[in-house]
Amino acid sequence: MADVNIDWPWQYSFPPFFSLQPHTETRSKQIAAWKTLILEYFKASKQSTLDIHEATNLPVFNNTAINRKLNTAALLTILNELQNSGNAAPTDKQKNIWEIYWHTLEEWGNIIYTYIMNIGATNSVLTIYELTQGDDVQNEEFYGLDSNVFIKILKALETQGKCEVMLFDDQQGVKFF
Amino acid sequence: MGLIFGKKKQVSRITEQDKAVLQLKQQRDKLKQYHKRIGICLEKDREVAKKLLNNGQRERAKLLLRKKRYQEQLLQRTENQLENLEKMTHDIEFAQIEIQVVNGLKRGNEALKKLNDALSIEDVERILDETREGIEKQQEIDSLLSGVLTSEDEDAVLSELDSLIAESLPEVPSEDKMDVNLPELPEVPSEPMKGSLYKITLEIYLVLYFSEKKPVKKVPEQVALEA
Repeated sequence: MADVNIDWPWQYSFPPFFSLQPHTETRSKQIAAWKTLILEYFKASKQSTLDIHEATNLPVFNNTAINRKLNTAALLTILNELQNSGNAAPTDKQKNIWEIYWHTLEEWGNIIYTYIMNIGATNSVLTIYELTQGDDVQNEEFYGLDSNVFIKILKALETQGKCEVMLFDDQQGVKFF
Repeated sequence: MGLIFGKKKQVSRITEQDKAVLQLKQQRDKLKQYHKRIGICLEKDREVAKKLLNNGQRERAKLLLRKKRYQEQLLQRTENQLENLEKMTHDIEFAQIEIQVVNGLKRGNEALKKLNDALSIEDVERILDETREGIEKQQEIDSLLSGVLTSEDEDAVLSELDSLIAESLPEVPSEDKMDVNLPELPEVPSEPMKGSLYKITLEIYLVLYFSEKKPVKKVPEQVALEA
């Protein structure tokens, strides 16, 4: 997915952007810019997971034109910031694999629930596959969303009593209420 | 609200039927995936067969087309199966809805029964009787109270009421006010006018004379004299 079409911010071609700035104010601005860039990039490429050791393979963290890479420590700092705003979460204890949510789980929950309400699918059983890969959802924003992330969204909805996730053996489904 | 729902959640709202539907839908998804795969395969085979033909390898192309034909049949079959699955899931879902409808009717019926139980006919009769008694009592009190007034007073009250009603009504325009006195207009001469000025003035005077006798009483004589 190297050819992701997004509007690269001017900072992307600005070498100091790729190393964390010591000055607090500059740094917070820098991190904010990084956050938007990362979310934008993952949204455009429809990716949800990020392995921090593979991060430099992604163009977003590696601008070959100016020969700058974001190092792992800086990336971790930014990811932690993203986690604070609900836009990312590590999937393992070593914080090697991260999930990026360009909508927070709650936002996603609302989007999906609104969709379900609109098509009148409350009170019926749907599979995760048909919600993320089905023909009916091709124009929805959550089309092609990672199924693990999708289940997390549904679990969040479940705590609100809006749905119930069904996971038996290899079956993944959900019933909305 | 979250708390209420949170507590409710202990009882799963997923029924056995839901699980069955899920299984069916899962199966459908798998079939769809299979369907997609065969579709892609077919497309590829066609391309390859074309290439083989161009290279003059007729036999191999034929073999490939045979394979393609077989896969097309498979595709057809999966489509049928998909249809069956969809039908089945719809049937189940519809049956679930029917059950809900029946349950709703049952509950409604029970509620209605309870309400009817609460309202026995004797009760209604008793209530009606009591109401009647109440009305009678009210009338008695009424007559007692209005008894304080003499019949003259009653008449006065009625006439006042009448006058109030009359005032509140809009006035009806009376007949004589309707026809306004329009002054009579002179007749239009039927023939074109001829002759000298005096003739015309004479005519005017005559008309005026007939319509309003007094003021021009003498004038026609004068005119006549002049003539």
